[in-house]
Amino acid sequence: MPLILLPLLRFLIAILSITVSRARRPLAVAAHVADAALLAWLAVSLAHGTPVGLTLGSGSAGVGISMTGDRIGMTFAALAWGLSLAVNVYIWRDRLRPYFFLLVHLLVGACYAVSFTQDLFNAYLLFELLTLVSFLLVGYGRQPRQIWASLRYLILSSFGMTLFLFGVGTVYAHCGTLDVGALRPLVAASAGEPWVLLSAALLTAGVSVKAGVFLFSLWLPAAHARAMPAVSALLSGVVIKMGVLELFRLADVFPLRLPLIVLGSITGILGIAYAVTAHDLKKMLAFHTLSQIGYVLIGFGADTPTARLGALAYAVAHGLFKALLFLSLGDAAAHVGGADDRTLTEHKAGIPRATRIALVVGVLGIVGLPPLAGFDAKAILEDGLPSLGPHIVVWLLSVGTVLSFGKFVPFLFARSSVRSECPRASAYGWLGGLIVAFWPVSVLMTSVPLCLAALGATHLIESFASLLVGAGLYLLVRRHTMRLPQAIFRLEESPLIILLGFFLVFALLLIGGGAG
Amino acid sequence: MATIVSFVLLGIGILALVLRRDLVIKLLALGLINASSILFLVSIGNRPGGRAPIQFPGETAVLVDPLPQALVLSAIVVNFAILALALVFVMILVERYHTTDAQRIEQEMSRETDEEETPCL
Repeated sequence: MPLILLPLLRFLIAILSITVSRARRPLAVAAHVADAALLAWLAVSLAHGTPVGLTLGSGSAGVGISMTGDRIGMTFAALAWGLSLAVNVYIWRDRLRPYFFLLVHLLVGACYAVSFTQDLFNAYLLFELLTLVSFLLVGYGRQPRQIWASLRYLILSSFGMTLFLFGVGTVYAHCGTLDVGALRPLVAASAGEPWVLLSAALLTAGVSVKAGVFLFSLWLPAAHARAMPAVSALLSGVVIKMGVLELFRLADVFPLRLPLIVLGSITGILGIAYAVTAHDLKKMLAFHTLSQIGYVLIGFGADTPTARLGALAYAVAHGLFKALLFLSLGDAAAHVGGADDRTLTEHKAGIPRATRIALVVGVLGIVGLPPLAGFDAKAILEDGLPSLGPHIVVWLLSVGTVLSFGKFVPFLFARSSVRSECPRASAYGWLGGLIVAFWPVSVLMTSVPLCLAALGATHLIESFASLLVGAGLYLLVRRHTMRLPQAIFRLEESPLIILLGFFLVFALLLIGGGAG
Repeated sequence: MATIVSFVLLGIGILALVLRRDLVIKLLALGLINASSILFLVSIGNRPGGRAPIQFPGETAVLVDPLPQALVLSAIVVNFAILALALVFVMILVERYHTTDAQRIEQEMSRETDEEETPCL
């Protein structure tokens, strides 16, 4: 029951928030209290070893729409709740049109539903709902660049979802079911057959468009950079994670080990390269979303229980510090009149103190200073990596992250002449508190021994080494400017690159021999 | 046969989406791509000699698989919503830039600085 109540209650609150727009604040409070109670119910069932399950539409396995409150689903649903709370507090006093709140509630409800669904077609429909709602949220400000970014997002996302639908059709033609649990043995029995490779490539390519994977999600930097801060926080913190979650579910069915590691490495390295060269810091954060998804994909592709738990923890950690960074940077940019590094540095006294502290916590979290969220999750992930190659990529990404976030240093330390608004400071406090005290959160997601191992001397030395090397590189290259090709982000080229990505995934599946 | 046609439609749609600069044509191409996936889903439910999936008592006729047909109904509605909303946003851009050419819109936009930007509506 709680599995279906979570999304349905949010959809009901969404409708009420536009019909009784004056009650939008009490409705938001009620929504979060009810969601917390339902999530606690699911968490207790999961802790007792009996995750709640539900099959809608039919009693027979494989035909109805099944939902399960498993560890992955619970983790992402809890992340959606936490970020929804932060964003609702952040916009508490903002004067926004009622349909903005309708869209935010719809978005969170759809995230809950995606978290728990085990059915591929249901996932397709929910992804399309997420696309439509995100499209309207990105274009909410009606500025031409927002409209253009959201239109590109809609076209590329719809194209990706069509590939996903072709994959859904191929799977159904051969298995007669779309339930992930029922598909696992059927696909394993046909390992290496052409239809398995084709459907795996189509489904992976389709979901990757939503998941922030570099070759596929080329709409992301513009959409996340142009949207309002509250929208960017939700898109980058949780909506992208829904695509990642579906990739996790697909990796349980199809032999995606090699594609995930290769796509993760490409996403991480190219994301960092573009982030280092970006001067608009909102765009830099958007590129960093791509690079951080790289960590998560590498962890899940490594296919060891520890690396998978580390990837899960990192996905949550990234959701927290990226939401905090988007919210605080958006607030700082609104106070100083621009989000590029020069404007922020010139007018740094105009950044409110709470915003500045939030930026510091967010930056320290993302660069992996012990014992903050980024460090803890990355250490668990690295403990599970079986070979040296992914280790090197992860370390290079850590160095690149420090290098790119060096741009924040010039405006982080100054005396503020402006006070923060109370709701903004509360939202920062909630997210910042979770980032600083991430260790207990990661214990809940993983286990005590894994989290204790993450605090080992090797990880501490590695973390400080990447901080030192990254900082040194920043001092060396900070006066240089470089521009990477921007043509790949144009609407004409992006569908071709998505197709190229599809062929790459197919080739990697062939090389991997179709074995899981 | 219908499966092959669906792949041909997909190919034509992708070509038009990539090669044509007109935003309205791009959206039509997207509609074609979406339609190709719907045709593909319907085609996989087909059975030789199969009839519409309505079974009367005592009848043992071969019926096509009803599940893909039920699935495409939702997909058609979703695709309609996407095209309708995308056309509204294209209309907003046309009102501002007086063109449906995607490249010209991108060029005009890159000339504008953030300060010059004013809401379209």
